[in-house]
Amino acid sequence: MDAGKSMSREKLTDTEIGERLRLARESAKLTQADAAALVGVVRTTLVAIEQGKRRVHMDELQKLATAYRTSANALLRREAVHLDMVPRFRKLQESSDDAVERATRLLNDLVRAEVELEDALGVSRSRNYPPERPILPGDIRAQAEQDAQELRDWLGLGPGPVTDIVSILDLQLGVRVYVRPLDGKVSGLFAYDDTAGACILLNANHPPERLTQSGVHETAHFVSTRRQAEVLTEDERFTSREERYANAFQRSFITPARAVRQRFAEITAGQSHLTRRHIILLAHAFGVSREAMVRRLEELKLAREGTWDWFLTNGGISDDQVRQVLGDLPDRIVNAARAQGLVPPRLALLAREAWKKEIYSEGQLARLLQLNRHEIREILDGAEKEESEANELVKLPH
Amino acid sequence: MSSSSFLTNPRASLIADASVVINLNATARAAEIIKAVSNLFIVTENACAELEAGIRNGHRDHAQLLELIDAGLVRRASLGNAVMIVYESLIDGSTSRTLDDGEAATIAHAQEIGGVALIDERKARTLCSASFPHLQIASTVELLMHDAVAGAIGADGQVDALMNALTNARMRVPAEHVGKLTAIIGAKRAASCSSLPKHVREADAAPQK
Repeated sequence: MDAGKSMSREKLTDTEIGERLRLARESAKLTQADAAALVGVVRTTLVAIEQGKRRVHMDELQKLATAYRTSANALLRREAVHLDMVPRFRKLQESSDDAVERATRLLNDLVRAEVELEDALGVSRSRNYPPERPILPGDIRAQAEQDAQELRDWLGLGPGPVTDIVSILDLQLGVRVYVRPLDGKVSGLFAYDDTAGACILLNANHPPERLTQSGVHETAHFVSTRRQAEVLTEDERFTSREERYANAFQRSFITPARAVRQRFAEITAGQSHLTRRHIILLAHAFGVSREAMVRRLEELKLAREGTWDWFLTNGGISDDQVRQVLGDLPDRIVNAARAQGLVPPRLALLAREAWKKEIYSEGQLARLLQLNRHEIREILDGAEKEESEANELVKLPH
Repeated sequence: MSSSSFLTNPRASLIADASVVINLNATARAAEIIKAVSNLFIVTENACAELEAGIRNGHRDHAQLLELIDAGLVRRASLGNAVMIVYESLIDGSTSRTLDDGEAATIAHAQEIGGVALIDERKARTLCSASFPHLQIASTVELLMHDAVAGAIGADGQVDALMNALTNARMRVPAEHVGKLTAIIGAKRAASCSSLPKHVREADAAPQK
């Protein structure tokens, strides 16, 4: 992690402050010349400040903090975590893309805030990462199929559908996973940092089936190319071996070959044609879209190639037809709770605890979580009430 | 400190933190409330910058503050060089012993000019009392409950102002003022305010004897 922490001393050294200023400037997308002009010094002076060769004056720090959209306290606080995963994502993009840049910054900010609050409260997130499976020479699809099944077995999932990928990542693996509304073209992001661990951001605006696909896709990167940041967008062409692996892993994990074959055999027994009804029942059983189901059947040679295209040219498979087969099912709201609120639930709980214990002030938390005062009060509201609800019966045993 | 005693010296300036400005704006009667007290009202540049940075979700706190400044009701102040060391001590160090820029500047400026720091934040008040025991601290609710405010906007106006601050801005109320506040706005209204302690919120539901 590009973190500047020194727990043993009360104040940071000039070099540590300089490094934090550099990261904050880069985060604000300002050049050294821009920053020097804002402060009224020559560029070489700013370089010396960032290198820790010249101590920044308080008035300069104030101006820089304002220009970098942060505060002097956020730059000087000893425990502040200065994580910058954004450049790792920038390297992936052929051209700069604002939607991806915003999503990468959001992931970075969420992780940074959570790690800082964990440090402040002395808590840590336990990791239960599966073994890494680097991509080897040879048939990529076969490797993905094998690795996906191995992970399913390791997780004890059995042949059933993946109903809540967020809980699997969060609770079973200990991955930092956030579901937030993102630009429609961004499906998910994955990054790994030595200190923060594996981090995934998924688009809350996507339907549950797609969110599951994106979550498993990012899990594939976590399994195979853990050290490489990854962003999944809708125009992904899956050209690289890594992407082809992740795509195949995603299909194999969500719709395992053996389970699909078995289910397919059961529901088509004694029948001569593959119908819409079969597709609807299979897609529902595995919690995937109708298209994803048909394409998987094509891949497993359970349906002829071009079957989905045939359905499309013959009127597709409509929601009405799904309703006729399955009846009125309640909308699946898995993950919805994680997407609501100004910050993810665990982060909100950490913030409330840090405020209750007077480790952070309202202003410090607002800055850390990038909220205004109204928003942070919404998060903190009721924290005092919880305190007055304290009862020995509900005391946590630690 | 009694709830009305902080305004005994009309020459003492009141240095308001960003959170106090937000509460005052939420009352919808900020100008009248400020006019009601003869003390000079000050907001530091840092607190202004914080409100400016927090413009989102339709809140107009920064614009409303500028209107109060333009009307001559609030003065904007920068920290002097002499007090920079105090300010630095409040922002530089471990998280638990520091504050964000606006909160720190409010305390530092109050210390610099011998004014009253108007600040609601629990941790800021605790740190301030420990580091500057002679510095006078007061909160929004004390200002709003003051007799001068009731005199200017009337008893009903005072109740409305308090309720607006509590419901629109989730105003924090230091424990020592909860009793008087409840007496002014009434137990039923107090029970509806989510930012007040649970015992206040449940008092209305308690069986009548």
